[in-house]
Amino acid sequence: MAALGSLDKLSSTAGLVSLCLLAVLPVLVGGSYLVGVLTVAAIYGIWAVSWDFMSGLTGRENFGHSLFIGVGAYAAGFLNVQMGLGPWWSLPASMVLASFFGLLLGFPTLRLKGPYFALAMLSAAVIMQRLMLIFWEYTGGEEGIQDITPLIKNHLHYYWFVLCVLGLTTWLFAWLARSRWGLILRAIKGDEATCMAAGLPITTYKIISLIISAAFAGLGGALYAHYQLQVSPQLFAVVTSITIITMVYVGGIGTIFGPVGGALLLTLMTEGLRNFGEWRLMIYSVLLILILFYLPNGVVAPIWKKIRAMLTSSVQGTGAQRPTDKATGEA
Amino acid sequence: MEILIYGAVTSAIYAMLAVGFTLIFGVARVLNLAHGSFYALGAYGAYVLTSIAGLPLWLAAILAVAGVSLFGVLVEKILIRPLRYSQLGVLMITLAIALVVEQSLFLTFGSEYRNVPAFVDTKINMGGVDVAGQRLLTLVVAGVSIAVLYLFIQRTRLGSAILAISQDADAAKYMGIPSDRIFSLVMAISAALAALAGILAGPFLSVQPSMHLLPIVKAFAIVVVGGLGSIPGSILAAFMLGYAETIVAYEISTSWTEIVSVLATLLMLVFRPAGIFGKRTAF
Repeated sequence: MAALGSLDKLSSTAGLVSLCLLAVLPVLVGGSYLVGVLTVAAIYGIWAVSWDFMSGLTGRENFGHSLFIGVGAYAAGFLNVQMGLGPWWSLPASMVLASFFGLLLGFPTLRLKGPYFALAMLSAAVIMQRLMLIFWEYTGGEEGIQDITPLIKNHLHYYWFVLCVLGLTTWLFAWLARSRWGLILRAIKGDEATCMAAGLPITTYKIISLIISAAFAGLGGALYAHYQLQVSPQLFAVVTSITIITMVYVGGIGTIFGPVGGALLLTLMTEGLRNFGEWRLMIYSVLLILILFYLPNGVVAPIWKKIRAMLTSSVQGTGAQRPTDKATGEA
Repeated sequence: MEILIYGAVTSAIYAMLAVGFTLIFGVARVLNLAHGSFYALGAYGAYVLTSIAGLPLWLAAILAVAGVSLFGVLVEKILIRPLRYSQLGVLMITLAIALVVEQSLFLTFGSEYRNVPAFVDTKINMGGVDVAGQRLLTLVVAGVSIAVLYLFIQRTRLGSAILAISQDADAAKYMGIPSDRIFSLVMAISAALAALAGILAGPFLSVQPSMHLLPIVKAFAIVVVGGLGSIPGSILAAFMLGYAETIVAYEISTSWTEIVSVLATLLMLVFRPAGIFGKRTAF
């Protein structure tokens, strides 16, 4: 269990290398369009990894991640446009506000077994979207809030900034997932009753994980608002949550790195299918059904496991995987 | 008086939705997030059969209800049953189904609102209030269909089989009750009720692809307040929520009605998670 405290070297190296590749890609290929696509992909990566930390590890699926995203984005838009604060205030403000919503919804629902959490999150997101339309005097209704100032004017620099945030977020979540904390979350997924019998305050663990997850979803929301320079009620839509969940499932649920890969893969792939614009959400939902049936472990994480097994066997001359690989891969 | 009548109509629609939702949970332990899709498909089915195929409304309604309940049975058989061992798998798959339905409706009909014809156009004066006949019809049909369902469950052999499974699935299996066939039956009933609610409410509510979401939110709120799996509980809770929303709409503002259900859900989960009539074992 020594490997628990530190990150798996090979994975983190691979993560860093791919991050660097992503950073230089637009410089090599050029074109402002690609920068835009990659920025959105990186933001989806932040959302997917924050979803995976709470829901992937504890097995409590959050069907309303869009709630935190929307709250973060609207916090950014509101502070920036209505209150006239500088754009950098958005980042801490969105995190705080989204965590508050996490506490508000997590406290009543995560104490209970059963599907209450999943359904309450779904309901809350649907209702928030309605409220944004109903209280249009403050939220701008269907139009949302326009004319948000950018955090960084240069698009390429902003992309690099978002990429850094994605890297740090992923590193933080990967570290948390490998720590004692992550171990307890996985144990909760395995058997709640046993954890309770072992004297662990499991409700506290679940609620705090939700708050952390919400904070980073909110941060991603603020980054998105400062990229689009506007926010709309569509951010709260259930399809946003489903898109993220599909990304996590494609990446491999509970693997932290996988969902980031899933997010990048799916965003780039759907950009390729841009001519089928209307069909995008349909493709996502059908893909989700297929994955649930045929590839419950996802696509990205199992492929990475194979590659790594090959690498380690060629380096060490032993084909055997370390036991910790199994523990993290199966979760 | 207005509050009394409109509240009753809203409650009746909610009750039709919530009874089906809680029935399939109580019997098969399936939380069906595609339940709202049955409601949407019912309304769209009636729309297509009347305005495009030109059928008379009563025939269109019967065909739409039958079609949706067949769809429900197929969905349960092909997609939900293989994943029934995992509650989360069921939630994921039903939500994915709901989105596939929403997107199919969007791709075929676009996002604009559609008109479902009303059964009755006349207005009826009741105690000084003009009430559209369609609303009264909704109230009557809802009352009759729920009463029939209740009698079916309480009085017939099949009904006892349903009750038996909901009380103890394993014991029921040992007694030789074919649980899979009962699940199909319950799914058909639940889908038919939702579709009927959609057809009846269609003329005075908005019919568009994302219309399936609010019914799910309302059904969830009702089921939490009434107790997951309890039919009398969900009928009572449907009336509480229906009237609460109507009163809020009249006394405060229609803007606040949507908050009622979420507030009710959260408060109930904090103070009495089992719901009014729920069994303690439900959670």
